[in-house]
Amino acid sequence: MADFAELTTSVIDISAVARRVVPPECGATVTLDGYARRFTKDKQTGEVRETEYLVYEAYESMAVKEMQRLIEQAKSEFEIANVGIVHRTGRLEIGETSVVISVAAPHRRAAFAACEWLIKELKRTVPIWKKEVYAGGEVWVEGEASP
Amino acid sequence: MKVQVLFFGATADAAGSRRLGVNIDDGQTVGEIVERLKIDHPPLSSHNLLIAVNEEYVGPETALKHGDEMAVFTAVSGG
Repeated sequence: MADFAELTTSVIDISAVARRVVPPECGATVTLDGYARRFTKDKQTGEVRETEYLVYEAYESMAVKEMQRLIEQAKSEFEIANVGIVHRTGRLEIGETSVVISVAAPHRRAAFAACEWLIKELKRTVPIWKKEVYAGGEVWVEGEASP
Repeated sequence: MKVQVLFFGATADAAGSRRLGVNIDDGQTVGEIVERLKIDHPPLSSHNLLIAVNEEYVGPETALKHGDEMAVFTAVSGG
């Protein structure tokens, strides 16, 4: 069973991703399905925007490398077996999945903890950017933390 | 010496380009090139910028070499 970190422009089949992370020594996989939300509160202005759609752009070669690095780090910090990450780029409609993270572990507590850690770190360091397109215009969202 | 500078998202909009070839002097640092880019493309100055060289995050003091790929972008917002 191998880990994987991929970018795609296609609709993500969450169960297909999760089913790729089923090591025989494990009993469960924890899967995060992150998807485009309709309403977003701007952290700077407090304004609530209604999104029409999102566009994700990636520095592809570095994004894949960075996701692979996060997988290696998660495997060294948590007692987990395998990880799969798929992130979508291009245009996403509301409700469509942008990212799936699947983590298999012999015991579920580590799988939950590692999955939470991976999404937090992905949002902090992986070079992918989200543009929100809404009725009043569009804006590239700038993240908060620095890598 | 020449380096490729890549822009993404908000910085690509600010620079009006996704890729620039930039001539540099031996030993010039990332910080010096960023300052030059901000002068050439003023809208870049209104963002906090992150820099990667050859797909690794670096600080402004990092010296550049011929053929390096430098990427200039805003704080990431994937996920």
